[in-house]
Amino acid sequence: MQLRYVFTELRQGLRRNLSMHVAVALTLLVSLTLAGVGLLLREQAQLTEEVWGDELQITFYMCNGANDRNPQCAGAVDDSQKKVITDALEDNRYVDKIEEESQEQAYERLQALDVEGVSGPDPVVRAEDMWESYWVTMTDPHHSAEIIEAVAGLDGIDHVGDVHEVTGPILAAVDGLQSAALVGAIVLIVAALLLVANTIRLAAFARRREIGIMRLVGASTLYIALPFLLESLVVALVGIGLSGVALAAVMHFGVEQRLSSTAVTQWVGWEEFFSSFAIVALLGILLTLVPTLLLTRKYIKV
Amino acid sequence: MIRFEKVSKAYPGQARPALNSLSIDIQKGEFVFLVGQSGSGKSTALKLMLREQRPTTGRVYVAGKEINRLAGWKVPRLRRQVGTIFQDFRLLTNKTVAENVAFAMQVTGHSNREIRQRVPETLELVGLDGKGDRMPDELSGGEQQRVAVARAFINRPMILIADEPTGNLDPGNTVGIMRLLDRINRSGTTIVMATHDVQMVDQMRKRVIELEHGHLVRDQVQGGYGAQF
Ligand SMILES: Nc1ncnc2c1ncn2[C@@H]1O[C@H](COP(=O)(O)OP(=O)(O)O)[C@@H](O)[C@H]1O
Ligand SMILES: [Mg+2]
Repeated sequence: MQLRYVFTELRQGLRRNLSMHVAVALTLLVSLTLAGVGLLLREQAQLTEEVWGDELQITFYMCNGANDRNPQCAGAVDDSQKKVITDALEDNRYVDKIEEESQEQAYERLQALDVEGVSGPDPVVRAEDMWESYWVTMTDPHHSAEIIEAVAGLDGIDHVGDVHEVTGPILAAVDGLQSAALVGAIVLIVAALLLVANTIRLAAFARRREIGIMRLVGASTLYIALPFLLESLVVALVGIGLSGVALAAVMHFGVEQRLSSTAVTQWVGWEEFFSSFAIVALLGILLTLVPTLLLTRKYIKV
Repeated sequence: MIRFEKVSKAYPGQARPALNSLSIDIQKGEFVFLVGQSGSGKSTALKLMLREQRPTTGRVYVAGKEINRLAGWKVPRLRRQVGTIFQDFRLLTNKTVAENVAFAMQVTGHSNREIRQRVPETLELVGLDGKGDRMPDELSGGEQQRVAVARAFINRPMILIADEPTGNLDPGNTVGIMRLLDRINRSGTTIVMATHDVQMVDQMRKRVIELEHGHLVRDQVQGGYGAQF
């Protein structure tokens, strides 16, 4: 195949439709960045739930005899008290699953948040300061009150963890932002699709003589379509590259430099960035190549 | 080489069909004029040979194959075997004469070496020796049509289809183009040419197929345009 022709056409095509290509690349930049932010927020919601438990969970913290909040606590919880508590939980019809967390496990989880004073040679907080706990998964989040009522007053219970108090605002903010980002992304994706379609139409019109002659002399459809496909691919790669830079900036200036200092939850990191960006890149390629393929088939069909 | 079996073509929204049960058979190496008034269906018949259009009913065979049963990806291969020229030349105005001719080879995947050899050869054949570097708008109409013939012929097609190729030319250039087509025909290429140039058809003494409102009204070996039985 004579690729020189294809690349000459590609260069000419990029130059001829420069303003359209810039419009497509910028629209891709914004739509893909919004989609990427949406994906990062989803990851953030998951991380937050991993750290704090999801909305279906309540946590019963048991007395540890060290820093209990409940004046009723008389030393650390003992096995017979724990038996009474688990029996009460197992009897409750709104309880789906019970997981036990030891003081050491709780301590490890705290260390993962990287709070000051937890790690190091002389930590302020130790494993003995943590509470043993039951993480109860409910069949229905609306019935938390019934479960709490049945268990909270039992001997050995220090306090009930209200997950919503901590994660509620975070998850609500994440949810809201995520919806906004996705709605914005969808609107701009539609705009990007229309721009791509229009660019192809203009390019096909500008090259209609060449295309007509190529069809007459028997150039293959792929050969005729190749400059269009490459043109779209170049624009897509530019848009994707720009959105990668934008997302990396969000990660660096937003998450790393601002949010990381507040240790209420574990924040998304570069691993989540790369997995989100991979999806965004794929989306960008699909958004440009699929309409290009469909439209070139339409405009240059033999 | 080309066979129509009861071919009809009705364009959507047209009251009368453009072709009506047309049956013709053109042998390899023949030179055939397709004549008839404007709107009689000549261009439609030529488009059917290239699968630019498809028949509503009937079958079209080119080089032994029923071309409407051809898979879409094989259509380019069919068109490489059929050269085409038109009344309006259809040259690329931003390319030189040589580039226009080379274009047909480039986009069908020939090597640069083949192109460098074949383009000057073919330009010489059509009488455009030394004009390869000119732009199309620096040439006369007759010369531009020669460029189109060179482009249609450079891949050595078995068939050359010409739709009123002399329609825009003065008598002198018309004769030149006809001599050129005759020479190409003598080299073994089948030629089908639509025209309504009475004088020229009379002079050439070739087979004439006449259409009227899409019907075949005459198929005469060595006919003249207006000749009657
Ligand atoms: N693409 C088309 N769509 C609709 N009608 C067409 C089309 N092409 C040709 N026709 C009609 O078909 C008839 C034959 O046209 P054509 O084959 O171009 O005749 P000719 O070449 O002999 O002048 C005419 O009535 C013309 O209007
Ligand atoms: Mg016509």
